[in-house]
Amino acid sequence: MLISLNWLKKYVDVKVSDEELVRLIGARLVEVEGVIDESTKYNNIVVVRVESAEKIPDTHLTLCQVNDGNAELTQVVCGAPNVREGMLAVWIKPGAIVPASVREDAPFVIGKRKMLGKYDSDGMLAGADELDFGDDHSGIVEIDPDAAKPGDALADIFELNDKILEIENKSLTHRPDTFGIIGFAREVAGILGQKFEAADVSELGVLRSAAARELAPSAHGDGPDGRGPEADTAGAIKIMIKDSNICKRYSVVILQKHGEIKKKYLTWQDTILSKSGMRPVDPIVDATNYLMLLTGQPLHAFDYDKFVAVGGSDKPVINVRLAKNGEKLILLDDKEIELNENDIVICSNDIPVALAGAMGGKSTAIDENTRNIILESATFSLYNLRKTQMAHGIFSEAITRFTKGQPAYQTLAVAEKCAEMLKDGFEIACMADEYPEPAKENVVYVSEAEINGLLGTKYDNNLIRTTLENVGFKVAGDFEVKAPAWRTDIHIKEDVIEEVGRLLGYDNIEPTLPLHGTASENMMFALKSRVRNIMERFGANEVLTYSFVSEKLLEKANLDIKNSYKIVNSISPDLQLVRQTIVPSLLDKAFVNQKIPFDEFAIYEMNKVYQKEWGMDAENVPVEKMRMGMVLAERKTKGAAYYKAKYYVEKLLAELNIESEFKILKSDVAEAKPFEKKRAAEIYTDGELIGFVGEFKNKVRNNFKLNEYLAGFELDFDKILEKAKPTREVNIVSEKEKRDLTVSTDKTYGELVAKIKDVLVKNNVEAKISPISIYQPDNSEIKNISVHLEFLQKIDDSLMRELEQI
Amino acid sequence: MQELEKLKVELKNINSEYSKIKDIAPEKRGEFGREINARKNEILAKIAEVEEALLDAEVEPLDITAPCAPNEKLPTFYDTLAGSEHPLMTELDRVINIYQSMGFDVMESRQLDDEYHMFDSLNFPKEHPARDGYDTFRTEEGLIPPAHTSTMQNRALKRFKHNLDEGKNIAVVIPGRVYRNEDVDATHEHTFYQCEGVYVSKDCTMGNMLGILREFFEKYYEQKLNIRTQPGYFPFTEPSLEFMIEKPKSLGGKKGDFLEMLGCGMIHPNVLKMAGINPEEYHGFAWGGGIDRLVMLRFGLKDVRNFESGNLNFLKEF
Repeated sequence: MLISLNWLKKYVDVKVSDEELVRLIGARLVEVEGVIDESTKYNNIVVVRVESAEKIPDTHLTLCQVNDGNAELTQVVCGAPNVREGMLAVWIKPGAIVPASVREDAPFVIGKRKMLGKYDSDGMLAGADELDFGDDHSGIVEIDPDAAKPGDALADIFELNDKILEIENKSLTHRPDTFGIIGFAREVAGILGQKFEAADVSELGVLRSAAARELAPSAHGDGPDGRGPEADTAGAIKIMIKDSNICKRYSVVILQKHGEIKKKYLTWQDTILSKSGMRPVDPIVDATNYLMLLTGQPLHAFDYDKFVAVGGSDKPVINVRLAKNGEKLILLDDKEIELNENDIVICSNDIPVALAGAMGGKSTAIDENTRNIILESATFSLYNLRKTQMAHGIFSEAITRFTKGQPAYQTLAVAEKCAEMLKDGFEIACMADEYPEPAKENVVYVSEAEINGLLGTKYDNNLIRTTLENVGFKVAGDFEVKAPAWRTDIHIKEDVIEEVGRLLGYDNIEPTLPLHGTASENMMFALKSRVRNIMERFGANEVLTYSFVSEKLLEKANLDIKNSYKIVNSISPDLQLVRQTIVPSLLDKAFVNQKIPFDEFAIYEMNKVYQKEWGMDAENVPVEKMRMGMVLAERKTKGAAYYKAKYYVEKLLAELNIESEFKILKSDVAEAKPFEKKRAAEIYTDGELIGFVGEFKNKVRNNFKLNEYLAGFELDFDKILEKAKPTREVNIVSEKEKRDLTVSTDKTYGELVAKIKDVLVKNNVEAKISPISIYQPDNSEIKNISVHLEFLQKIDDSLMRELEQI
Repeated sequence: MQELEKLKVELKNINSEYSKIKDIAPEKRGEFGREINARKNEILAKIAEVEEALLDAEVEPLDITAPCAPNEKLPTFYDTLAGSEHPLMTELDRVINIYQSMGFDVMESRQLDDEYHMFDSLNFPKEHPARDGYDTFRTEEGLIPPAHTSTMQNRALKRFKHNLDEGKNIAVVIPGRVYRNEDVDATHEHTFYQCEGVYVSKDCTMGNMLGILREFFEKYYEQKLNIRTQPGYFPFTEPSLEFMIEKPKSLGGKKGDFLEMLGCGMIHPNVLKMAGINPEEYHGFAWGGGIDRLVMLRFGLKDVRNFESGNLNFLKEF
């Protein structure tokens, strides 16, 4: 939303600098995303009188002598068809920038030129498009002689020396009332500590009088009694609202043509529409747009006679209902849309003629032949309109306002104001207003103590009262707070406390620290932190990878894609499935790094994973597990990478005081799937499976285009957390006895170690066993395994002899 | 091996059948071609399968209990100097430690959640346009990879409610990974980290909230900071604020250069009610902000995409 500071200042007396005003709006109302400074945009652009205009033969050009208030006339060649002697036009002086181009990379500077080789032309007479007041390029702009004289700066006449605020709409989602300049100004007054008074009563007079006036109900049912001259003339209009949840209030004013609206001159309203991001189009559309910017209430105009013809009745029957699936409607922009059951439609009798809140239909569009108008001013369910917006992709200024939930209190008054603005061409034939369940006044009770208690402030009773009253709240007692009709968002104490805190400035609240208790450590975070330190020491690199992966990635890693939760609105197919395990993502990153190239590395990640197989937990959300994955890769083809991965996991677990045992890989769970069973293992502790380690299937390795030296592991961190111990018993003995032992065997290393342990137990001695080497001659089944034994006590040689016999 | 030979012969036969196509009536050629193609593909798949099986059969089994392969050296770690920790994770640890020292318990946020926790329990009216602002992903089942760590507020309140019964406060922070359906560029990621804070007691104030947040940021950036707020809108807090800090000089900031660090506010009574806490008796405040941004500012990083890149050129800097 764009807010013109000059327009704003018409409604509130701003005594602070613009910088301070912008800061205060930011701190107390809404984020100001930017300030567009237009204070020099119309420099050197002045009003001139065309003193003479001579057609240049055989061209469309006119040779003009213009008077800019100085004694000397200036010659300008003009190509516009409407240039004529005596008119007031807008002259862009040589050296000035064309306003429509000021924000372009290379703004267009007007110069002095020779036209057709002989006519000097200084500067240019400007059209509306060049002045950035719309797209009209049919002629030059004409200025009302009652409003200006030659030499007047254009900026002075229309208050164009302005700053435009770019407002971030999102943080006003709950404040539909601020989507009109009046509501915005009311807030600014409140922020500045002033009571909001309209600066220009003519702007607001109608709103006040209409709100105070009793209106006849519409012809719904038996028809009204026709009180007053402006009330509905017995049954002239029938409004039917199927369900007041979709439309709280529907007001119409019927206008009858009695003359032409002459639009000859550039108006202040044109400039306001432009500064607010809209475009002047024609008098009727401009009036409705202007009022929307002023009050936040969108309006729509139907051609009365077309409306009646479509419905086939002699008087308009307006029917507001939900569309039926499959119903069709051709919109104003000629597009035919298929409606669905969430769309609200305005029907003539039962035939849809407009998509409520979004766009009018073609069949009832006003045009230059329109004699009578149905002017609609209504509110619609923001929930339905939001769906309409999404389903049909309509994002207009009007629907932006409707989807905030416009209050219903002012619909008729705004339509009436519109009628007044169009009075040169139209007069009110009748009005109708269907408002089945008028909104109730919201009353909230809140005390000074509650306000200060929640904010941590010491605001006194009077300050609180005035602050609320400044923006239209009625405050009685200590405090009964009545919300004004436009504040449909005030329901509970906290809503009122927010108003007080915000309007007086959150920045004025003193930051204080409450006394705090003691917290206990989160064990999983502590574990991960510990692992991070250990792994860094081990020369490994921690990575983070996306939680979403592609079907292709899972297939490459030999995983079943059906075991993944699938994102239906993913950014790309690469991010469609929720990952089941960590390792596949690491294989992907291993490729990236091997290509850079890094010759050797071990990358790991600790993160959460989900598998459909695991089902739901007690809260009925998917079971989640914390996992650690690691992949190590080298740019070489020789060697059994399995043992390096095993070494990493074994040592890591040892640091966490977890004993590990490696068993043949048999499992077929998702975590095990990328691994080659002949060169991978299941990791156990205390008889429980806690992970997998090993090399990957040939197919997997090839799919990821990785070199042969490749292995990894995946650990169940929920189990690790259970098993990890913070400390271990340390046995320090002064006299250790160290021996080396070599045994020839056809058994596995594990079996050999088990045997050694048996012997030690039998002899009642303890020793730490660590490997030295494994030697296996070519073509032999027998290996020579050497281990180092560190005894915690003295032993005699007979034990060694016994061990050598194994 | 024999099987592979057989399959290859079969493939050859099929290939030779293609030449027969010229003897077939033109209207039947299409059908003939499709049939041959189908058979050919079947054979090719079988060949691939057999070849793979052969390749797998060649795989030498290892003694998985051994420390190394026969005649190979015992494995060692890579050079300690090559090791690195992920900056987001180490900084997250710092964040957690600071909050812990201020008396906050720590929970980790979920990475797949439901509509109830993401929106309903946070006082978002059903189908309210405010839900659109979060650009959420959804699964086929309607589950949501959370777009904010606030998805944990209801759980945190319930889990620590007993503190209130024991006359203590609820003070908990909830870091975690969150997701937004938005295009990625140097300052936007669809996957990032946030940290939520929840505080409930009988008499806490907005002043306390501002105090705690200022304290946190001053501890995190290890210096005094200027703070600022602006009104915001979140259905789950009332009043709602955006919290800003003035970019410290030491990090290249200029005076008046305020950065939005997080959203915060006093917990909406409905949110307390939905967790079984009586809003007449207790009130609280909550906040949530991005960790990525915090860390980028600290290290002067310009491109958020590095964090999830897995690129060792970047990671080895930390």
